[in-house]
Amino acid sequence: MVITKDTKIADVILKNHNLIPIISRFGIKFGFGDKSIKQICDSYDINADFFLEIVNAFNDKDYLPYRKLREMPLNLTVNYLLKSHYYYNKIKLPFIENLISQLEWKGEDAEKNKSVLKKFFSQYRKEVNEHIINEEKEIYPYILETEKNFLNRNNLNPEFTEKLKTKSITDYADTHEELNSALLDLKNIIIKYLNPPENREITEQVLTEIFRLEKDMADHTELEDKVIVPVAAEMEKELKKQL
Amino acid sequence: MTTNKVSFLILEKSYVIRSGLLKILGDFPETGKVYELEDSRFLFKVLSREQVDVLIVNAKLTVDLTDVLHKIRNKFDNLKLIIFVGTRRSEDNFPGFDLKISVDEPKTDIIEKLQKLIQKIKPPEKENLSEELSEREKDVVRQIALGKTNKEIGEVLFISTHTVITHRKNITRKLGIKTVSGLTVYAILNNLIKIDDAAQPA
Repeated sequence: MVITKDTKIADVILKNHNLIPIISRFGIKFGFGDKSIKQICDSYDINADFFLEIVNAFNDKDYLPYRKLREMPLNLTVNYLLKSHYYYNKIKLPFIENLISQLEWKGEDAEKNKSVLKKFFSQYRKEVNEHIINEEKEIYPYILETEKNFLNRNNLNPEFTEKLKTKSITDYADTHEELNSALLDLKNIIIKYLNPPENREITEQVLTEIFRLEKDMADHTELEDKVIVPVAAEMEKELKKQL
Repeated sequence: MTTNKVSFLILEKSYVIRSGLLKILGDFPETGKVYELEDSRFLFKVLSREQVDVLIVNAKLTVDLTDVLHKIRNKFDNLKLIIFVGTRRSEDNFPGFDLKISVDEPKTDIIEKLQKLIQKIKPPEKENLSEELSEREKDVVRQIALGKTNKEIGEVLFISTHTVITHRKNITRKLGIKTVSGLTVYAILNNLIKIDDAAQPA
């Protein structure tokens, strides 16, 4: 289904519950009644065109996405990415960590199982956090600076010109794969190798949350790889010609 | 892991039909990458550049493609060809094709045929049935969990770095665990090392 400005936001969520975290990332709260996307976006002061591109892209992989997003100001996408960083760091990862700490086993290996899983996940959190810090401190600012200077390319900022001489977007090492591998490993460990915990319900929740997080992060990475990085790389290329 | 997968290329103009084929292929755990092409412009290029095991072509396209298909058959020995026809009743023979499937065939028939073809391409290896680690591989996992580099592992176990890397690949394939942290967890859970000896997670 293609979502338009006139689609009721309640219908969007009823059709695809995977969009729940996306909507909350825009700050939209439940209880929308019969409001359309346009009405909701107006009342929350959200750019409706951008909102539509994001929900459509995440709703249907075949919705030729990203083309329109590439034409929009990059800070819209970057702001969205910052919000999902916050969501991972402050909401989802602590939530999963808490679930993991609730897992219980009987017998002599109980403590060992608990401790090894906890350590694995806290290490993973640490890596995610380092990745996020690097993006927020280095990559995103450079991308936004590139865009700003591109729009004002007759009058390049001298400081930026210096950066441009030595830096390149493609230099930023990509550690997404490593982070994704850790999630895959954790799934395999729980499904195949871990002694099954006593509280099955929590175990299922942990697994479900990991699958969701994986999907969410894959979408997140796509926005970086298919929108902000290539667009900024194009701009950078043009600007380098000017040097 | 990808070595156990079968990859497909669908050459079909219709989006609706491509989606249907994709859905069917997605039902097989053996299905790896599936490439889609709307027309034959890049057919040769994709076949040359990507590892494709099976090509699915709409019969309507084959008329214009006779020469190309001939070339493809000669060049890509192991490539299996499936022809996709409009109706089951068509008794036409399509020489050189490994399989014929039609749009009005019931799902179970198509699945059965594809299953046979997939097994021909990737016969379930005996080795795959047992995902148990060998004693040597367990040694390697133990060393990884202790935080050793490939070079150090080679020195401890008296094997070359190259052999260590091969073991690591096989371990990852068998266990489905890739990261050092993940392998460390595995090592601890399976009593290959004590939790206090693990180098990571710190």
